[in-house]
Amino acid sequence: MPDRTLMRPKQLGLPALAQGLGVYVSVPFCRAKCSYCNFASGVFGSERMAAYVAKLTAEIREAPKRVAAWGGQLPRRLDSLYFGGGTPSLLSASQLEAILEALAKVFSFDAAAEITLECAPGQLKDELLQAMPGLGFNRVSLGVQSFVDHEAAAVGRLHTRAITLKEIERLRRAGIDDINVDLIAGLPHQTRESWNVSLVEAIATGVPHLSVYMLDVDEDSRLGREMLAGGTRYGVGMVPNEQAIADMYSEACEQFAAAGGAQYEISNFARLGHESRHNLKYWKRQPYFGFGLDAHSFLPRVDGEAIRVGTTDDLAAYLEHKVRGDERETITPVSAAQALEEAWFLGLRLTEGVSLAAIEREFGETAIQAFQPILKEAQQQGLIEYDEHRARLTPHGRLFANDVFERFLGVVREEELVAIAWGPAHAHVLYRGPTFVGP
Amino acid sequence: MDREHIRNFAIIAHIDHGKSTLSDRLLELTGSLTAREMQAQVLDAMDLERERGITIKAHAVRMAYQAENGETYQLNLIDTPGHVDFSYEVSRSLASCEGALLIVDATQGVEAQTLANAHIAINNGLDIIPIINKIDLPSADVERSKEMIEQTIGLDATDALPISAKTGLGVEAVLEAVVHRLPPPTGNAEAPLQALIFDSWFDAYRGVVVLTRVINGRLKRGEKIRLMSNGKSFEVESIGVQTPKPVVVQELSAGEVGFFVATIKNVVDAKIGDTITHDANPCATALPGFEDIKPMVFAGLYTVDAHEHTLLREALEKLRLNDSSFFFEPESSAALGFGFRCGFLGLLHMEIIQERLEREFNLNLITTAPGVRYRITLTDGSVVEVDNPSRWPNPTNIEKIEEPVITATILTNEEYVGGILKLVEDKRGRQKNFEYVGSTRVMLTYELPLNEIVLDFYDRLKSISRGYASLDYHLSGTWDSPMVKLDILVSGEPVDALSIIVHQEFAYDRGRALVSKMRELIPRQMFEVAIQAAIGAKVIARETVAALRKNVLAKCYGGDISRKRKLLEKQKEGKKRMKRIGRVDIPQEAFLAVLRIGEES
Repeated sequence: MPDRTLMRPKQLGLPALAQGLGVYVSVPFCRAKCSYCNFASGVFGSERMAAYVAKLTAEIREAPKRVAAWGGQLPRRLDSLYFGGGTPSLLSASQLEAILEALAKVFSFDAAAEITLECAPGQLKDELLQAMPGLGFNRVSLGVQSFVDHEAAAVGRLHTRAITLKEIERLRRAGIDDINVDLIAGLPHQTRESWNVSLVEAIATGVPHLSVYMLDVDEDSRLGREMLAGGTRYGVGMVPNEQAIADMYSEACEQFAAAGGAQYEISNFARLGHESRHNLKYWKRQPYFGFGLDAHSFLPRVDGEAIRVGTTDDLAAYLEHKVRGDERETITPVSAAQALEEAWFLGLRLTEGVSLAAIEREFGETAIQAFQPILKEAQQQGLIEYDEHRARLTPHGRLFANDVFERFLGVVREEELVAIAWGPAHAHVLYRGPTFVGP
Repeated sequence: MDREHIRNFAIIAHIDHGKSTLSDRLLELTGSLTAREMQAQVLDAMDLERERGITIKAHAVRMAYQAENGETYQLNLIDTPGHVDFSYEVSRSLASCEGALLIVDATQGVEAQTLANAHIAINNGLDIIPIINKIDLPSADVERSKEMIEQTIGLDATDALPISAKTGLGVEAVLEAVVHRLPPPTGNAEAPLQALIFDSWFDAYRGVVVLTRVINGRLKRGEKIRLMSNGKSFEVESIGVQTPKPVVVQELSAGEVGFFVATIKNVVDAKIGDTITHDANPCATALPGFEDIKPMVFAGLYTVDAHEHTLLREALEKLRLNDSSFFFEPESSAALGFGFRCGFLGLLHMEIIQERLEREFNLNLITTAPGVRYRITLTDGSVVEVDNPSRWPNPTNIEKIEEPVITATILTNEEYVGGILKLVEDKRGRQKNFEYVGSTRVMLTYELPLNEIVLDFYDRLKSISRGYASLDYHLSGTWDSPMVKLDILVSGEPVDALSIIVHQEFAYDRGRALVSKMRELIPRQMFEVAIQAAIGAKVIARETVAALRKNVLAKCYGGDISRKRKLLEKQKEGKKRMKRIGRVDIPQEAFLAVLRIGEES
């Protein structure tokens, strides 16, 4: 075993509190469920929205206590806020206002905070649109998925190309220029030609941010169940094959780059300065807090390590449960070894890749060495390129990101980090004491 | 006891026809066990069975029975196994008896195993009492069962005893028949010692325990004995009989059955069928029928985790302590690493060993396709025996290949005959006999290459006949056959563990079936993987596993990193369970596919 002077991660200790926090608000309501949607308990009818908003605001107020109970720390400076879903634009201006007010009582909003609302084209009421700038919204993410009408209709989207273009126009008139358009490669009926139509249209809108997702047919979606059952509904037989989807993705990367939208992450493209701050937090392991159903948080812990927390995806459980109840939360401590793995497999999603110096700073000077053979092999296979400063996925590597990421797991064991960083003489320091099992 | 009052007998029956139930009844009626002890006895036997595993083949229980004529007889019940894999052991157990009870289930009739063992008994000169069991059941047909005994076995069943071992009905009559219809042992207690070993096993406390039948002379404690097959001498430390509790006796004399413990340390030294005599005053000749039994079915055993190799060796050594019929030697495979070439008496034997290794020793195994041992005459006139495809000679050097052939007896109902005929023909069988026994029962006798039996014959026979066919077989010779070695190449590299020996005529179909199965089982990789079946340098079938085009999670899942991690961990775990050959990951199931490929071809 090579001598590894690995250290415990430290970026999430006290300095983490100084970092801005990203807040995610989950709004699991839709007017119609798309065939590819795998939201675990379904996306819910809007009649329960009021109860949900009440629950959400209560949960926000309780956040400091909950975080304390987890042994975590809650940064109070909020610099990004993201309403995702579902279709958060179904909320009324006053409901959004109530949520924002609750947040403002707990967090201090940066003047330049990025505040995003996810919208389905055609489902943004005037009343809300007019109120948005006043509420602080400065960014909208549009779930367009396709500019080809029959493709959008086939998966249950309720809009057309014309509606989408009109929506972008309305947003701009209301002063919201920071717009993202989501596209999905691999929708039923999609062809290389029709995909090209969507790409050209998306570029033509001139929005500064684009996201491209490759369809993974999930078995929990209607499309997936139909596929498993061997049926023909939802255009199951018309889903492009894997090769075609991969090609569509590569085509998007090329066209967006040519149009000035740099790819900054596997699925995200932006003109310089328009990258989604919120999205980047996930890959850069910066703290974020998720409120609502099936929401996820990543927070520093008092002892300098970190925790990940996920909430239930069962709406009834969420609504009926007392806010203080912990059963609906899954709290996962992030060990030092896991933090190191995440630094790799999250960081590599970014086009800028992983800074070797940063990993060294955080985990010790020879942390990089443990992963040298992996980097080397992946480089030989054309999946990764790296020099003494950075390592990043190649365009080919992006298509096989999971194959690459997996290699970074289990390379360094927790014990190695403990024993070598602190030495056996200090091992007792890390002894966490006996575990008591109650009667 | 004088020989006139001794009866040594065995019970022959097909599985589930009531052998153990009748044995229990006999023990009860003779007062050998009280009803309460009965329970304990059954449990002990199971413990013993577990300890001794598959070599538990024979018991010899001495019972005292006072007959209706007022005289007391010593009845030695010798319990034998019934499975075809162990037919040699059965024959030696039967050789230690003068008579046998042949049980036939009145609702089922004669099955193949009954028939095979009855023939062994007849060949050993035993007197046989037919018994029709389960007459309490509504579907019992005593007359038809008698008819079948007469037609299939050729025994006079006029005086067959109708009984119900379960209710005890007619069991008394069985004991009387044993006394009056079976002969006492012959032999001379004053002649030099001549005793037959019909089972032996290793006992952790006592060493090797030997079950024996004294044919001539007397065996006493403290005597120095000699085993005639290997000339080795040992001192007898204790002698006893099972009643069924072990009871120490002073001697065993001609005609008697019992066990002894000598200074034998290795079960291999006390081979079944061997003759025991006195070292000082040996008998002139050994008893007939001794054979050094050889394994018939061979396979490679490997651990999935290479680190468990040593554990596997230790486990095999432990099993071998108790089972001299099973053999192993180290072998290495380019694909699977270090493992063992193992030889078994038959498929059941192989399954039992495999199961014990996995269950008792907690090993995760990969077994290569079972095969047989071929006798190959090379062009230079030399002869080699090959049971491992990796040692198959270069085809250009092969003059002649002899493969082992069995004679199989299949008993079934006529409605399944069509399917079974097709199966045996597919398996290169040659018909020896086709006979109606009774109005709807058919007895088929076929010669079949053993090679065709070892893969999936039992399972297919069972499914074709819905369980209504019984099979028994014995090795009956060899055929000259054009066998070839079929290799499977993954990305151009031969995977030795996937090679099989097949008949030339089947090579193409097997090869095609195998590569197409492989294509299903080998997951797509980042590059295209060619799977080929080849005989020598000639590729006879090819399939391609298309390259994976993408493997990336685009979705963000609202920052649910734990979910992403789980997905990556699952993917990694899946790869760990695969064997990497060259740069291709091959799942364990792919190696098992070779075993099942006959089904599709």
